[in-house]
Amino acid sequence: MKRGHLILTALIFWAITPILPGAQADPWSTFKPLKGELVISGGTAHIPVMKALATKIMKVSPGIRISIAGGGSGLGIKQVGEGIVTIGNSGRAPKPEEISRYGLVLHRWAVDGVAVAVHPENPVRALSFAQLRAIYSGSLTNWKALGGPDRTINLYTRDASSGTRSVFWKKALGKGEIHASALFVKSNGAMKSALAGDPYGIGYLSVGHLDPSVTGLAIEGVTPTLANVKSGKYTIARGLYSNTKGDATGLAAAFLDALYSPTGQELIAAKGFIPVKG
Amino acid sequence: MIKARRRPHEWIGEGAAATAALITFALTLAIFGFMGWLAMPLLQGETLTTLFTSVWRPDRGQFGILPMAWGTLAVALPATLLAFPLSLGFACFATHLAPRRLRKTLKGLAGLMTGIPTVVYGFSAVFLLVPLIREMAGRGSGFSIIAAVLVLALLISPTMILILISAFEAVPQPWQRCFDSMGATPEETVWHLLFPLATRSMVGALLLGLGRAIGDTLIALMLAGNAVLAPTDPFGPARTLTSHIGLVMAADVESLEFRSVFACGLLLYLLIFVLTLLVRYLTRRPAA
Amino acid sequence: MKRWRRLLLHGGALLSTLGLLSGVFFFLGHIVLKGMPSLSLALIFGDTSPLKALLFTQRVFNGLFPAICGTLCLVLLSVVLALPAGILTGVWLSHFGSGRAKALLSLCIDTLAGVPSIVVGLFGFSFAILLHKISHGTVGPSLGIAALTLSVLVLPGIVRNTQLALAAIPRETHLAVSAMGATPVQAIVRVYLPMASPGIFRGAILAMGRCAEDTAAIMLTGVVATAGAPYALFGRFEALPFAIFTIASEYSGPEELAQGYGASLILLLLCALLFGLSALIASRFHPDTP
Repeated sequence: MKRGHLILTALIFWAITPILPGAQADPWSTFKPLKGELVISGGTAHIPVMKALATKIMKVSPGIRISIAGGGSGLGIKQVGEGIVTIGNSGRAPKPEEISRYGLVLHRWAVDGVAVAVHPENPVRALSFAQLRAIYSGSLTNWKALGGPDRTINLYTRDASSGTRSVFWKKALGKGEIHASALFVKSNGAMKSALAGDPYGIGYLSVGHLDPSVTGLAIEGVTPTLANVKSGKYTIARGLYSNTKGDATGLAAAFLDALYSPTGQELIAAKGFIPVKG
Repeated sequence: MIKARRRPHEWIGEGAAATAALITFALTLAIFGFMGWLAMPLLQGETLTTLFTSVWRPDRGQFGILPMAWGTLAVALPATLLAFPLSLGFACFATHLAPRRLRKTLKGLAGLMTGIPTVVYGFSAVFLLVPLIREMAGRGSGFSIIAAVLVLALLISPTMILILISAFEAVPQPWQRCFDSMGATPEETVWHLLFPLATRSMVGALLLGLGRAIGDTLIALMLAGNAVLAPTDPFGPARTLTSHIGLVMAADVESLEFRSVFACGLLLYLLIFVLTLLVRYLTRRPAA
Repeated sequence: MKRWRRLLLHGGALLSTLGLLSGVFFFLGHIVLKGMPSLSLALIFGDTSPLKALLFTQRVFNGLFPAICGTLCLVLLSVVLALPAGILTGVWLSHFGSGRAKALLSLCIDTLAGVPSIVVGLFGFSFAILLHKISHGTVGPSLGIAALTLSVLVLPGIVRNTQLALAAIPRETHLAVSAMGATPVQAIVRVYLPMASPGIFRGAILAMGRCAEDTAAIMLTGVVATAGAPYALFGRFEALPFAIFTIASEYSGPEELAQGYGASLILLLLCALLFGLSALIASRFHPDTP
C-alpha cells in the first residue's frame, strides 16, 4: 500500500514538474516532497559526481535514499537493463544492440578523457601511441628505454566490464593487445590509488580523476587536460552516460534533471569533467 | 526408556528438529546444485574443453580457468606448507615446551588469533607488506604471490594450532606422566609420544588448513594483483579461483563468462568436499 | 634423544611461536598505531551531531556510522536466522538421528563448514537473482539476502557447538532424567538445552564474529560503498568490512585512508570483544577446555 502511494506521488509529481515555473531555477525544491529509493550502479568514473549530487539531494529531502555502487560500465548497462538498478552509468556509449535489447534511454551529461598516468616520481612525461602500444603488448618492458629508472614496467588494467578500458583499448591502443601480466584493479579510484602507490606502474584512468598523486602523460605531445579534451586535441575522449530503461520517471527523472540544472553542471565541472547541457 | 503414548509435543519437537536437519542437508546440496545447474551450459559439448585451457578472453569466447586453478595452487599450497611447521612448533611450545605459566596465555592467544578479521590483515598488508616486497624484490609491483602467501600463512595458522593443541591434549595424561617419570625431557615426550600418536590429526590439520587457504578470497584479491597469468614468479601476480569469482561478478547473468564463474564455484566446492572426506577418514571423530 | 636434536626441537618451537606472534603484532600494530589517531566521534558521525545520528533524525554522509549500523544489523539478522536451525539440527544429531542419516548429515555439515565464503556468496547471489525473477523485481541483492547468505555460512559452527555442548552433559544427568519419566522432548527442552546453553551461546557469539568480519559473501549479495544506514530489509546496505576493503583499493586521499585505518581498528576491537566474550564463557563454564 505504502509503495503504491509512493509511486502515485512520484507520478503526479513527475506529471506536473514541467509546468512548474520555478522548477529549473531551484532543482532541490523538487526533491522535497519525493520519497523512495534510487539505486545507481555501473561506471566508476561517475561516482564522485553521483555521490556529491546524492548527498545534496538527501540533505534536502530526508525521505530519499540513494545507493551508489560501482562495477563498471558493462555491469551498469546490464543491471539497468535487467531492472536490478534504476540508473546504470556507463563511461562509453552503450552499443546499439544493448540499447535495442533493453530499450535503454541514454543521458550524456559530461565529456571526459581517458588519461595514461604514472607515479609523479617517474621522470617519463610523454609517450607516443606506438610506445604505448609496445608497453601494453608487453614488448617494451623496462622504463629505462623511455628515460626512466631501470625497473620493469608494471602494467595496470581494468576488467572487461570497464568503459574506461574499452575506450582506452579502442582509441589509444587501436584495439591492440593488453598483456596477460597486467594487474587488475576494479575502478577509476582504485587505478588512481594503485598508481599513486607504485613508482614503476602505468595505467589509464578518467581525466576527471587526475590529481597531484598521479601524473597524466602527454600522448603524441598532447597533455590530458580538460581544455585539450574540450577542444578535441586530446583524442582519447568519451562521454559519461547515465542510462535508464525507458524514459526516466519519478525520482530518477528528478535526479537526472538535477544533473542538467545549472547547479548540477557546476558540480560536474567542480569534479573535473566537462558538463554537457541536455 | 519406557515407551509411553506419544503426546503432541513429542511429535512437534521431534518434527521441528528433523525439519531443521533436513534444511541443513538441503542447503548443502542446494549450493552444489545451484553451482552445477548454472555452470551446466558450459559443461556440455565444446565449451567444456575451452574451460580447461589457459586462455581467459571473454570477449573472444575463451573461458579457460586453468590460470586461476594454478593461481589457487600457487598461493594456497606454499601458504599451507609454510604455516604447518610454524603451527606445529607453536602447538608443541604451548602444550609442552613453554614454561607452565605461559602455556595458558599462549593457548588463549591462539584462540584470539582466529578472530582477527581477514580484511584487517589485508588492509594492513596492502600498505605495509606490498611496498616492502616491491623494494626488496627490485621488480614487479609488490602485489605478488609471495605477499599473499605470507599473510595467508598467518591467517590459517591459528586454525591449525587449535586442532593440533586439541590433538596433543587428547593423548592420555597417564602416558605422558609415564614418560615424565621415566625421565624423559619434554622434547622427548613430544618427539616419541605426541608425534607418533597424533600423526593422523596432524595430517588432518594440514588438510583443513589447506582447505581454508584454498577458500580464502580476500587476501589473494587484495594482495596478489589478479593478473590472468599462469603463475611462474613468486614476485609476480596471480589470480585465484576465489578472487576470480569476486572479480567477474560484474558481468551478464546470461553470458558464458558468468557461467564460467559458477564452474569455478563448482570446482572449489568439489575440492573442499574431497578434502573434507580425507579429513574425516583421517580423524574419525568418536561422537560425531 | 641427542642434545642437539632436543635443542633443535625446542628452538624450532620457540622460533615458530615467536615468528607467528611477531607476524600478528607486525600487522595489527600497524593498524593500531595508525588507527588510534583517527579514532574520534567525527570518524563515525562525520559532521552530523552524534545524538541526532543515533536517533536517526539526521543522516550521516561522511562517517562510518552507516557501515557500522549495517554490520550490526547484518550480524543480528543472520544469527537470528541461523540460531533456530542450527540448534535444532544439533539437537537432532545428538538425540534423534541415527545410522546412515546421521552420518550423512554429519558429512554435510563438515562440507558446509569448509565451503569458501565466496562460493556461499555466489549461491546467495544466484538465489537473489532467482527471487528477482519470481518477484518481478521487488527483491534483489539486499540486506535480507546477505543476512541469509551469512546465516548459511555460520550454520555449521552453531550446529557443532550445540552438539559439543549437548555431548558434555554427564551420563548421570541422562539417567536421572529418564528415571524421572521425562519424555525425550521434555528432557531436551527442560534439562539438556538449559544445561547446554552456555556452550550454545558461545557458538552464537563466534558466529557473530564471523558475520561481522566476512567480506567475500556479502560482496556478491548487495553491499555497496554508499547507501546510508540500513533502511529496509530488501534495500542495499553498507558494511564495515566492505568499507575497509573499498578504502584499501580506492582511497581518494589521506583523510579517507585515515578513515580506513580507523574502520579497521573498530572492526578489530569489535571482533576482539566478541571472541574475548566467547573465551570468557568457555573458561567460566568449561574450565577444562582451552
